[in-house]
Amino acid sequence: MTLGDFDERAKEGLSALVDGEVDRAGSAASCAAWAADDRLRADWHAWHLIGDVLRSEDLAADPRDDRRLCEAIRARLQSEPLVFAPAKSGLHFGAMRAASADAGRRLGARPGRGRWGAGGAVAAGVVLVAGTFALLRPDDIAAPDRLASTAQPVTTPAVAAARSPGAESATPPLTLVADGKLIRDSRLDRYLEAHKQFAGTSALGVPSAFLRSATLDSAAR
Amino acid sequence: MLPRAAFLLTFVWALAHATSASSQVAAPAVAPAPPSEVRAWLLRIHDAASRRNFQGTFVVTGGGNVASARIAHFHDGPNQYERIESLDGRQRKVFRHNDVVHTLWPVSRVALIEQRGMLSSFPALLQAGEDGIADWYEVRAEGSERVAGHEANVLAIRARDGLRYGYRLWSERISGLLLRAEIVGERGEVLETSAFSDVVIGIRPQPESVLLAMRKLDGYRVVRPVLTPTRLEAEGWAMRQLAPGFRAVSCVSRQIEAPSEAAGEAAAPPVIQSIYSDGLTYVSVFIEPFRAERHAKPMFAVMGATSTLAQRQGDWWVTVVGDTPPATLRIFAAALERRKP
Repeated sequence: MTLGDFDERAKEGLSALVDGEVDRAGSAASCAAWAADDRLRADWHAWHLIGDVLRSEDLAADPRDDRRLCEAIRARLQSEPLVFAPAKSGLHFGAMRAASADAGRRLGARPGRGRWGAGGAVAAGVVLVAGTFALLRPDDIAAPDRLASTAQPVTTPAVAAARSPGAESATPPLTLVADGKLIRDSRLDRYLEAHKQFAGTSALGVPSAFLRSATLDSAAR
Repeated sequence: MLPRAAFLLTFVWALAHATSASSQVAAPAVAPAPPSEVRAWLLRIHDAASRRNFQGTFVVTGGGNVASARIAHFHDGPNQYERIESLDGRQRKVFRHNDVVHTLWPVSRVALIEQRGMLSSFPALLQAGEDGIADWYEVRAEGSERVAGHEANVLAIRARDGLRYGYRLWSERISGLLLRAEIVGERGEVLETSAFSDVVIGIRPQPESVLLAMRKLDGYRVVRPVLTPTRLEAEGWAMRQLAPGFRAVSCVSRQIEAPSEAAGEAAAPPVIQSIYSDGLTYVSVFIEPFRAERHAKPMFAVMGATSTLAQRQGDWWVTVVGDTPPATLRIFAAALERRKP
């Protein structure tokens, strides 16, 4: 057997793996070959890229992104809490899925069916949801316009909430300090500040929420 | 690896109704996402915020206020560094190295040094799938838009009841970084917007610039607020019920003092702060002894998305603050019960 033959067989195995046509043993062998051989790894990436580009040009991402992603996933896995207890296995899946969703999107490493599954759901949503969101969502104004106009709608809920009959009856008569500018009571500021220290821990992301409170706070002063 | 079971119904439905599905990778909207998907999105946003290097200008609009700040965020292995400089109002700089936060007021020469140990608790909840976010919020992808010069995926998060606000999130397509967030009221009105007006993602990390500033505290009066962990029950209080979806996340005993006034004031009695969260938003309940000179009238205030309710309860003064509709705060205020005389 020549080296060329060996290469051909490894490539065939890899090709079958890409197409999802190998059994467990075959996939283990191909993955081992893939891990050991730089050229096979390049092929693996190239084939996926070809497949991706055939499906959508948007997926022709810079290959360096892939490398960065792999590095990020490796780093992430290392910093991941240990989750071997069976009862907590959901945790593992959650983390895996976060990584895999990302990986799938960019590496194209997911089986094609998954992608079309998501695509199908996407399209289904268009039909299902379009009506709902036409109501919920303000018109697509350009960002600066919307930023500038937010001061307007904000006053309404404040006053409405304070004056609604339910609001009045639920608690003893309250003084409406009103919106925004009237929160000048330094005591109140302190509660807000103390509250916002914790608002930074929201699931929306540490710096974003943290930043929001840091920025807002300076406005309140 | 895929949430196949959860997707199955939608998938079948989609096959029957959408023939062009396979040609669309990013269509404008999808059906409500299954909990696992919601978690994955939020984790991605969360990770991007901590594991990317970025720098930009951030603008927060709400309650009639507009405030902007410069931010730089670096990460280096497990370490995170952040520099925030307010561009409006009183000059203020915030430096963060992991959970140590320095807030400096250069004009009054006051430095506030805080240990924010809770900063990492939420990703853990998310990863464990114990957040319950999907029970109270419905999340849909809404296609993509351009924000601050970047393509962003749009997520619409709708509250399932009237006890919390909704959100729209713009997450940068490649990195996942949150570029813009809106807090949306019950009628779809925008209560508060926070957005990058410009941002550069993937800059070279310069952690030294943060560390150096954190070491230079000469000439500053340093204030270190002390937060003592406690339990509501241990302090003689109980919450008869929590607003649906909320859980207790922390309880501390602390001083509430503006750093600039801390020196000139007689030591006020400590305040108990009990914190509740539904995974996306927070409510703080503050309890302190009633003092007639300070706590004159019951009070209710709304600023942007943040509501505050303050009222007397027997010998005590209770203040509830939260980024929620006022009804949620009332539930907490009404459920608070003194168990010990």
